Amino acid sequence: MSDLSLAARRYRLGLGMFTEGVKYFAGWIVAAVVLAFLVPFIIGQWADVSQSGWYHAANVGKICTAIVGGGFLYTMMPTMIAQGVTRRELATATGLFGLLWSAALGLVAIAGFLVEHAYYGLLDWTQGIDQDTPLPLESYGHAFEFAAHYPLVFALYFTGGALVSAAIYRSDSGWLVLIPVIPIGLALDDLLSSSEPWGPGWMVRFVTGLADDVDPWIGAVLTAAFIVLGAWITRRLILDSAIRAKQA
Amino acid sequence: MFDDGTPIYRQIADQIKAEIMNGSLEPGGKVMSTNQYAAFYQINPATAQKAFRELVDEGVLYKQRGVGMFVADDARDRLAADFRERFFERVLAPLVREARQAGIPLTDIIDYLRASQDEAAAQTEKGALQ
Amino acid sequence: MSFTVNLRDVTLKYGDADALADVDLTLEAGKIYGLLGRNGAGKTSLLSLIAAFRRPTGGDVLVGGEPVWENAPVVSRVALVREGGDFDDADTVKDVLASGELRPSFDPDYAAKLADKFELPLKKKVRELSRGKRSVLAAVTGLAARAELTMFDEVHLGMDAPTRDAFYKELLAEYMDRPHTVVLSTHLIDEVANYLEEVVIVDRGRVLVHQPVETLQGRGATLTGAADRVDELTEGLELLAEQRLGGTKSATVAALDADLRARAAAAGVEIGPVGLQDLFIHLTNPDRNGA
Repeated sequence: MSDLSLAARRYRLGLGMFTEGVKYFAGWIVAAVVLAFLVPFIIGQWADVSQSGWYHAANVGKICTAIVGGGFLYTMMPTMIAQGVTRRELATATGLFGLLWSAALGLVAIAGFLVEHAYYGLLDWTQGIDQDTPLPLESYGHAFEFAAHYPLVFALYFTGGALVSAAIYRSDSGWLVLIPVIPIGLALDDLLSSSEPWGPGWMVRFVTGLADDVDPWIGAVLTAAFIVLGAWITRRLILDSAIRAKQA
Repeated sequence: MFDDGTPIYRQIADQIKAEIMNGSLEPGGKVMSTNQYAAFYQINPATAQKAFRELVDEGVLYKQRGVGMFVADDARDRLAADFRERFFERVLAPLVREARQAGIPLTDIIDYLRASQDEAAAQTEKGALQ
Repeated sequence: MSFTVNLRDVTLKYGDADALADVDLTLEAGKIYGLLGRNGAGKTSLLSLIAAFRRPTGGDVLVGGEPVWENAPVVSRVALVREGGDFDDADTVKDVLASGELRPSFDPDYAAKLADKFELPLKKKVRELSRGKRSVLAAVTGLAARAELTMFDEVHLGMDAPTRDAFYKELLAEYMDRPHTVVLSTHLIDEVANYLEEVVIVDRGRVLVHQPVETLQGRGATLTGAADRVDELTEGLELLAEQRLGGTKSATVAALDADLRARAAAAGVEIGPVGLQDLFIHLTNPDRNGA
């Protein structure tokens, strides 16, 4: 029986990280929701609202996700090894955590855009995405198409955060991975959410196969590839890490 | 609890012997377990075990599998001779030596011992009368 | 099923520096070991290898007969409690205790009992704890893990004397209740000496001594008696310590042979064992020639 629980504990741990993460950031998520809906309402008293507030909240979620992925892994390296967990188990648990977190936060992001669409529609505002060329989301379908990339983009940020923190834990010069990770991550994010000329309707073009200056499916595939590669490197780094000595 | 002079296991063995001699442990009586000794004196159980092993080897204790340690029936006789020998060697010899260094004549010591024995006897008599 | 520990030809380097070199060490199952060594001698490195906190640069580390590295069934039953514990400072004491559930052998009732006994504030965050309480929390996680191999590395730091005493008592009670292998690494040697069955002394990255406590203590002796006789007996011998009170002198020698024992007895000089700490100081003295 104990061996059975041993085989399953990596998943229990991953699930536990997820619930802890949600608990930890619950306040922030609530604050983001309130702000995203309240700020446009206040602005709306004086002027026409033409920008999606939720878009900004969702973007803050990306940074939060990178911090969650990195922070949890860095703190848990020594504490979990000290609790008799193997590095392999910790790596798998972190992977599960990343999947759950990206999926859950992605769903929250998508739901937010749809609810916001209804909210803006009610008040006759424009749900516009604040980009180089402002992009109005004109229907529920359009809002969903735009929002659909969030689970993937959160997974991208989670992987980036975890990769950087694993590298820093592994070695003092590990921060050097920031040099490739940040530009690659931002480029992929950009590729996913703002390809010209039609803006980030990448799902449509992905499904219909319409060509663009950069094919959006390339963005999706490249992002997925980066996530897989990043996750693999992160795992290798975790497996090779010594628990650091305690400062005297 | 322990003095620095002797290994702990020997001190425990000596103490058990003393308890047998003064009657607080009866022949055939059960001795506390190694773990009880270890917990009482806050020592490693292996140390207590070593004391027991020594006592078993000397025939003072015997072991009944699964039940515990018991005082051998002839333990007191075995120990008495031992005690006598050790008493002279460990108590009297140093006493004589120190007395000589301090310039106390042997007769003074003998007088003192007699007096204290008389006193002890008087105490016992008084106790018996009451 | 207490764990044995086998280190075979183990080397650990930090960069170019050897933290441990050619270590061969076997710890038998179910004994309490004392791990002694000066600061930087390699005690923590040794424990880190046994608990798979690190991987050796060379050699094998086996626990319970199996390679310990990334071995979940083994490491889940090995507990290394480092000084101050390995906690997330933002967690509450209660959360820390609950995280023991990751171990199949963890005993939550025992953890709760210990937390109560040592007056741990369950709702406080780890970062709010005093140093002593933090050490207590670390010790409690180690005990409640009910591991087959439990190692405490300087866990007593910050604990006051009554707390340390209570901890040793609890450790011994747990040990007798459920035999397992224990390693205590500490500088408070004489405080733990009676709890130990064997002693391992590490010095400059090597195992210097591995012996039962009594054998080690039997190596040396303290000779106490009339000053002139003690001086006569110990003439030309290396003294670990000397003490004089009036005409009585006590001198500690590092080695006692049968001849010296007989001569001491004849001279009416008393022979006693050496404190473990005195021997340790002597054995790890860098000025000491040879071994």
